[in-house]
Amino acid sequence: MDDTRVRIDVEPSGPSETTLCLHGDIDVFADAALAEAYASATRDGATSLRLDFDDVGYINSTGIALIVRLLAEARRDRREVLAVGLSEHYREIFRITRLSDYLTIVETPAAAVSLEEAAP
Amino acid sequence: MTATQPDRKPTTDGWARPVDKLTTTATTRSVDTVTGRRVAGPVQGFGQLWQKTFAVRLEGVDTDPETVVAYWKERFPTFWPKTARFYAPLSGIQPGEVALLDLPTVGSAPVKMSTGVLVIYADRESFTFMTPEGHALSAWITFSAFRDGDVTVVQAQALERTSDPLIELGYLVGFNRENDRFWEATLANLAASLGVASPAVETRRLCVDRRRQWKYVRNVRYSPVISTTVSTVTAPVRWARRRRAGGRAPE
Repeated sequence: MDDTRVRIDVEPSGPSETTLCLHGDIDVFADAALAEAYASATRDGATSLRLDFDDVGYINSTGIALIVRLLAEARRDRREVLAVGLSEHYREIFRITRLSDYLTIVETPAAAVSLEEAAP
Repeated sequence: MTATQPDRKPTTDGWARPVDKLTTTATTRSVDTVTGRRVAGPVQGFGQLWQKTFAVRLEGVDTDPETVVAYWKERFPTFWPKTARFYAPLSGIQPGEVALLDLPTVGSAPVKMSTGVLVIYADRESFTFMTPEGHALSAWITFSAFRDGDVTVVQAQALERTSDPLIELGYLVGFNRENDRFWEATLANLAASLGVASPAVETRRLCVDRRRQWKYVRNVRYSPVISTTVSTVTAPVRWARRRRAGGRAPE
């Protein structure tokens, strides 16, 4: 599929934490990009993933399904997931869909403490 | 398959408003097992996580994704196999509305499973259902249409886990395949209705997570296996009460 509406930068953000910076819209065209980004993060040995939605414009229901799938894969692989930069609208969507049961939502990137730093 | 992007970006108001407990404007001929329940998507289910994609190409049909999705929403129940019933809410398939369903249990057995779905999202090119507690599946299913070159493709994509261990057992002995056949038949009916002479439904199944989520084993308290059994056993009592009250006997 053509995924030119989304770009995902995979950047290390700690010794075992990787940030997936999402740019653009998360819809059906993000499928391959998200799968590739997750594979890349796991190849790097990350045990924690930070999803940065700060530059995301639109997420439709297919996009949420892709995030559900990514969350399931992270749980399967015993990786923690943190979401930062979600707008209030999408924080609400994550609550409606009960995705918030499975990931930690931080209101702004500045407020996001590294999972590793937060760990005792 | 190379999909082309839609020209217009959908609006963000296609999402349902948050609710703690579900309510419905749909009227069922059986039992409303949804009112008062919460939604339960794939993350809250018990069984293995499956991603299933059913797609059919509308070869030879001159139409576009928006027209197809509008038509699908309008006549959604008519494309289901005859063994199932979909009781639409008063305002149709709109975000936040809850539809009630009677689904077949095993093959053509006369016993039906009463449940429902929340319309969690709807826009011009797609709509999505999320299941409530007490549904056999903890699922998220998106119905959409898109262009692939010169052809419009219709798709249903489910992300689903069985809700509880009893249903998971059923899945292992054939419900899983039966569920696939349900959606294959639905898409074939839709395509035929739109004028496709011999619809060919393509099915892709991917097990995303093979593990069972034992932390949700207590979902069994809402299991449709139990509620359907109770409903079936007590049906004569309800029928007798309705007769005494002067109501119409069930068909």
